[in-house]
Amino acid sequence: MDRKLTYETKGLNLVLKELSAFFTGIAKNNFTVEFFTVFVPIIILWEALPRLGVVPPTLVPPPSVVAETFWDLLVNHDLIGHVGISLLRFFLGLAVAIVTAIPIGILMGWNMFLRRHALPLFQILAPIPSPAWVPITIILLGIGLPMQVFLVFLGVFYPVLFDTYQGVKDTDPRYIASARVFGASELTLIKRVYLPNALSFIVMGVKIGIALGLVMLIVSEMVGAHSGIGWLLVESKDFFRIDRMVACMLTLGFIGWFLIEVMKYIEIKLALWKVGR
Amino acid sequence: MIEARKITKFFPVINPQGLAEGITAVLSVSLKVEEGEFVAVVGPTGCGKSTFLEIMAGLQAPTEGEVYIDGKLVLEPLPSTRKEIEIYQRKYRFLSPIANDLWRDIPKSDIAMIFQDYAVFPWMTALENVFFTLTLRRVPKGERSYLARKYLNLVGLSGAENKYPSQLSGGMRQRVALARALSVEPKIILMDEPFAAVDALAREKLNEDLLSIWQSMKKTIVFVTHDINEALYLADRVVVFSPQPGTVRNIIPVNLPRPRKRASREIGELRERIWQIYQYDATGEIIDYVI
Repeated sequence: MDRKLTYETKGLNLVLKELSAFFTGIAKNNFTVEFFTVFVPIIILWEALPRLGVVPPTLVPPPSVVAETFWDLLVNHDLIGHVGISLLRFFLGLAVAIVTAIPIGILMGWNMFLRRHALPLFQILAPIPSPAWVPITIILLGIGLPMQVFLVFLGVFYPVLFDTYQGVKDTDPRYIASARVFGASELTLIKRVYLPNALSFIVMGVKIGIALGLVMLIVSEMVGAHSGIGWLLVESKDFFRIDRMVACMLTLGFIGWFLIEVMKYIEIKLALWKVGR
Repeated sequence: MIEARKITKFFPVINPQGLAEGITAVLSVSLKVEEGEFVAVVGPTGCGKSTFLEIMAGLQAPTEGEVYIDGKLVLEPLPSTRKEIEIYQRKYRFLSPIANDLWRDIPKSDIAMIFQDYAVFPWMTALENVFFTLTLRRVPKGERSYLARKYLNLVGLSGAENKYPSQLSGGMRQRVALARALSVEPKIILMDEPFAAVDALAREKLNEDLLSIWQSMKKTIVFVTHDINEALYLADRVVVFSPQPGTVRNIIPVNLPRPRKRASREIGELRERIWQIYQYDATGEIIDYVI
């Protein structure tokens, strides 16, 4: 019991340490002096131009108004709930896509026999723009969680699949040969050679997948949902609330940026061996 | 004992005119390497000596001929008739013939190979690289750390266990490769220009360390290099390859006692002799063909 307790504190300490490293990393890499020299004038201009009447304030809400609206959305219109349901849809789609795309990509990159069977199919399906799937998905799956998750899945699946495939396929044959000489089985090769080699490609694919997945999330919520950020955005349009639309857009931008930062951190953690280069 | 019988390797390539063409990389090479022998293979660049080594390691199938290691066939030769090709393709349509097994590691205790570069995995530290082969050998977990450190010490890498290959110099990386090769306790070590990318001073040190390891552990070593001096300093026999297609041009025994001196007269004479063979092959002129 005692030992378990110390273990848990250790785990918690580790989590806290990682979190602090993550956030200091974000702060150091993004909020630099150079960034603020660009960012602050833009904010000042954005605030000043509508207030001075250079651009109509009804069409361009200044940041102070957007901040007010954001607070109003947060307190009175359950913004957190909308963000939550959007993130649920997004992460379900992302998870399904990652869990399916990475193994298929590895198998296609590893084996010529499987590649010849599967790759042409994906190469024909992939160029179909994901939003083109929206009408048929609504008819087949109806409006609801499965449809939104499927559309996010479509956005994430192909970039992750092709990047994984490329990373595994491009493994230097000499690495494979040097493992085979020692008698490594194909399973060991996949686990210890192909996968570590493809890791940075996979993370890159997931990054692109996150961007495309967010696109598909908003598309799916705009046409087939009664909650979520995308729905809030469309509803704001119907009420001509530009300030709300801007607040929603900024929220989306923040979510995307934050997820990419998380992926960068994961990449550094996983591909530690590349850092020294 | 390694016995290569009439190894021929033929590659189809596309020539600059866009036409299919054949290149014979290795032509009818027979070579016998006795147990505990140190054989060096030299030859001009692109003469197929690396291909020959990979065929001996079982990483490429020969077009013709067989390699036997202790009387055991390494890889069956490629098919030649249309019917044979069909059978071969059906047999290996899922897994390539050089793959070991789908699920099970089959540790090869008879052979280890060291490449010029890309030999150690950059995503593993020096220690993990040795762990990799120890795991393949199914060494129990408790002994791995001790054994890995032992082999790293043997090649003079104590203190660099937890460094990634990118943090090591070229010479140290090859030392990791050597430790990894030794860790499987092989009878035969095949080395494919292992020290070509290492600076001259580090190479001399590596040569000496390799010799002392070879003398103390009684391994059979086949050492491919393009450096005649290195070959003469290390080997019992030097196999000279001709330019493409690679054939055995000459086998020169180096009956000099060890430790040898790099600048000694005997080595100088042998080097001159090999150099003349090179010259003759390149230009067709006999310069001073005394021997």
